[in-house]
Amino acid sequence: MKLLRVALPVPVFREFDYLAPAAEAVLPGRCVRVRLGPRRLLGVVVDLPLESPVPRATLLAIDSYADDLPQVPPDVLALARFAADYYQYPLGLALQHAVPPRGRQGAPLRAEKPAAYRLTAAGAAGLRNLPARASRQAQLAAALAGGQSIARAELLANSPAAGAVLARWLASGWIELAAPEQDPEREGTALLPDLNAAQATAVQAIVAAAASFQTFLLHGVTASGKTEVYLSAAAAAIARGQQVLMLVPEINLTPQLADRIRRALPFARIVLLHSNLPDAQRLVAWRQAAEGDAQFVLGTRLAVFAPLPRLGLVVVDEEHDMSYKQQDGLRYVARDLAVYRARLRGVPVVLGSATPAMETLWQARAGRYLLLPLPERAIAGAPPAIRLVPQRDKQTIGGIAAALRAALAANLARGEQSLLFINRRGYAPSLLCAACAWAAQCHRCSARLVVHLGEQCLRCHHCGHEEPVPRACPRCGDQDLLPLGFGTQRLEGVLRELFPAARIARVDADSTRRKGTWASLLQAILDRELDILVGTQMMVKGHDFPGLTLVGVLGADNALYSADFRATERLFAQLTQVSGRAGRADLPGEVIIQTDFPAHPLYQSLLRHDYEAHAESLLAERRQLELPPCSRLALLRAEAAQRSAIESFLAAAHAEGQELARESGGVRVFPAVAARMARRAGFERAHILVQSAAMRPLQDFLGAWRAWLVDNAPRNVRWALDVDPQELD
Amino acid sequence: MPRRPPPRRLLLPLPQLPDELKQNRLTLTAILKSREPLRYSPAGIPILNCRLVHQSEQVEAGLPRSVTCEIPAVAVGEVAKVLHSKQPETEWQFTGFLATKRRFETAELHIVEIKETPRAGPQDT
Repeated sequence: MKLLRVALPVPVFREFDYLAPAAEAVLPGRCVRVRLGPRRLLGVVVDLPLESPVPRATLLAIDSYADDLPQVPPDVLALARFAADYYQYPLGLALQHAVPPRGRQGAPLRAEKPAAYRLTAAGAAGLRNLPARASRQAQLAAALAGGQSIARAELLANSPAAGAVLARWLASGWIELAAPEQDPEREGTALLPDLNAAQATAVQAIVAAAASFQTFLLHGVTASGKTEVYLSAAAAAIARGQQVLMLVPEINLTPQLADRIRRALPFARIVLLHSNLPDAQRLVAWRQAAEGDAQFVLGTRLAVFAPLPRLGLVVVDEEHDMSYKQQDGLRYVARDLAVYRARLRGVPVVLGSATPAMETLWQARAGRYLLLPLPERAIAGAPPAIRLVPQRDKQTIGGIAAALRAALAANLARGEQSLLFINRRGYAPSLLCAACAWAAQCHRCSARLVVHLGEQCLRCHHCGHEEPVPRACPRCGDQDLLPLGFGTQRLEGVLRELFPAARIARVDADSTRRKGTWASLLQAILDRELDILVGTQMMVKGHDFPGLTLVGVLGADNALYSADFRATERLFAQLTQVSGRAGRADLPGEVIIQTDFPAHPLYQSLLRHDYEAHAESLLAERRQLELPPCSRLALLRAEAAQRSAIESFLAAAHAEGQELARESGGVRVFPAVAARMARRAGFERAHILVQSAAMRPLQDFLGAWRAWLVDNAPRNVRWALDVDPQELD
Repeated sequence: MPRRPPPRRLLLPLPQLPDELKQNRLTLTAILKSREPLRYSPAGIPILNCRLVHQSEQVEAGLPRSVTCEIPAVAVGEVAKVLHSKQPETEWQFTGFLATKRRFETAELHIVEIKETPRAGPQDT
C-alpha cells in the first residue's frame, strides 16, 4: 500500500491521507472516491507523500479511483493551489472548480443517455402537421428532417426545452434511437473579415508570442473590432493544433458569440461552458475540452479551470466586467486567474476591453502587460453623438426629458429602434407615505422594498422577501401611498402612454425569467418587431442590434452618489458600453443621457469618448487615497444574527490583526465598520478592511490572520476573507 | 457602528384629549372645480384630487359679508369614484375632515361624503 494525499470538499484548511494499492501508478490530479467519517466524497490526489503524520494503522484505504472523470491536469492543479493560497480558501473546496459538475456528489456517474435520434416514417408524417405556434418543435423537426441521426446534445443545444419534446416524440414513435453517427470531419477555411492596420498589428503581436507567456491588453474603443482580433489569433492557434480558451462575462452573451465563432472558424469544434448548462451537457463539454477534441472553449468565469491539454491562447473579453469576480466561496477574479494560467502554460493571454479596469491599465503602464490599442472603429461611421440633458425640469414627463421624448418620436417616425436604459427593475424603487415619511423597508435587510406593480407586491432585491402592497401606511393610515422613483415597469407604462402606437418591450431579469423568453425577445429585436425597448444592463452587454440608433440613459447619476470607490469606474464602463449599442451598422447613433450634473468630469470625458482622461483622473484619485491599483485590499467580511456577536468577533480580529501587522511591514488594518448594507437577509454585517502597498506582505499577513480566524471565530459568526474585493459593501 | 434612527414624526406638545372627544369635521357647500384624472394607489385604491370653491354670505362680528373660499380636496376609495362621476362646475355638499399632506402645506379637505345641496338638485352656474 502507498500513501495518497487527497484534497476533499470540506471546509477545513488541510488535506487527508489515504492508502491505495501500491501496484497502480498514480499521479497528482487523479480523482478518487473516499470515505470521511460517514460521508462518501470525491477527492483529488494532490500529493504522494512518503510519510503521513497519522499512524498507518488508522488510515483508511480509498474506495476507488474515479476514472470515469477526467483527471485534473497539472496546470489546473497548480492553478487551484495558487487560487486557494491567494484567496485564502481550502484547497479541497477550490479544487471543486476543477472537477467536472456531475462528479461532485462523489457517486459514480449514471450511464450516458442514448446519444442520437432519427426520424421515423410516422414521425415524418406527424411532424408535417405541427401547429403554427410550436416554433421550437418546428426547429427540432427541421433539424431531424434530413433523415440522418442527430446527436442528442446537438438537438438540445437548440433549446433547453427540447428534452421534453424529444421524450414525447420518442413515446409516440415519431423518432427512434440511433447509433450516433461518426462526427463528421469539420472542415472549411476560416472566414475572417479583413483587418484594418491596428487590428493586423495586434494579431501579429499575439501570434508572434505564440510559444511564450505574454499578457496583452487589447484596448479598443467600442465597435473597433476586438472580436475579429480574437478570432484571427484563435484561428492561428487552432491551425497550430492548439486549443483556445475564451472567457466572457455573461451567459446571455454566449449564443450570439458562439454563432459568430462557428461562422468564422467552421473547422473548429466549439464547446460552451457555463453554469446554466445542464450538468450532463457540461460534463460532455468538459470531456471534449479534456480530450483535446474541442479546439475552442467559450465560457464564463468557471471555464478558467477547464482542462485544456493543448492550450495555446487565452482570451478574456470585457476584462473589466464585474462578473469575473465570484462573490462567494472561492472569491476569485477569473481574469487574474486566466493570466496566471497562461503563465503556468507559457502561452499568450489577451485581455480585451473598451474601458480597461484600473488594475489592468496599471499593469500595462508598468510594462508588465503589452498594450495593443485599437483606436479606430472598424465599422465605418462616426461614434455615436452623446448629449446630456437635464434629468429634472418642468418639461420632464414620467421621468423622460423633453429632448429624449422628441428624439424617441423622431426615431419612431424613421422606423428605427430605440433603447431606454435604466438600471433598476420593478415599478419604483421605493414606496413612500408623504404624510408621515414612512417608507416600505425590508424587515430582514437594511434596504427599501421595491414596488412591483404588475405582480402587486413589494420585493426586496437583496434577500428575495416579498409582501403584498399595503393598502394603507402602517404608521399613519394614509392610503395615498406614493411609489417614488422609476424602474423599468414604470417607464414601460409611461412609454405606452406617450407612444401608444409603438411596439414596446421591457427586458429585465423579471420579464425574461422564464426560459426562452430572452431568446425570443432577442429575435424579435433583430427582426425589427419592436420599436422601443426598456432594459437593464442585461440589454447592453455585447449584443449587436443593427436597427438600434437611439439610446436614452436614465438614472445614471445614482452611481455618483455611491460610497463605493469603483462606482465611477463602473459607470463610465457601463455608459461606454451602452453608447456602443447605438448605431453600429450604417446608421448613425445618438445617445441621450439624463443627468443633473452635466459638468461632472466623468460625463465630460464621456462626451469626448475620452477613456484616457477619465482613467487619468481615476488613477490620480486612487493614488491619493492609496486605493487599488495603487495598493492592495482585502476584506474580512462577517455576519451574524446578533450585532453583538460580530462586534466582539471583529474587535478581537482587529486586535489580532494589528498585532500581526506590526510584524509584516506596510499592512494596515482598519477598525471594523458596518457594511454599507448593515443588515441582509436577517444577518447583521460588518467588515474589516486591510490595506497594503504590496501583495507579498499582504499575503503573508492574511495567511497568519486566517489561521487565527479559523481557530478563534465563534460558531455563530459567518466570516470570509475577500482578497481583491470588487465591492466594499 | 451607529445606525440611523427612524425618522421622527412631527408631534406637537399639546394636552392630549381622548380621540373620540376631538373634532375634525367640515361640511362645505361648494362647486367642484378643476379635477385631476382619477388615479390609483399602488394597492389599487382609487384616489381623486380636486379643488372646491365655496361662495356664500356669512355674518362676522355682527355684520353680513360675502365669503369666497377655494380649498384643495381629495377623495379616497369609493367616494373617489362618486366624485369622479360628478360634472365639474356643479354644486354639492361635501363633508369630510381636514389634513395636510406634508408639513407646512395647506390643509386639504378629505371628502368622505357627497350629498346633493339641500334646496334643489345640482345647479348649473
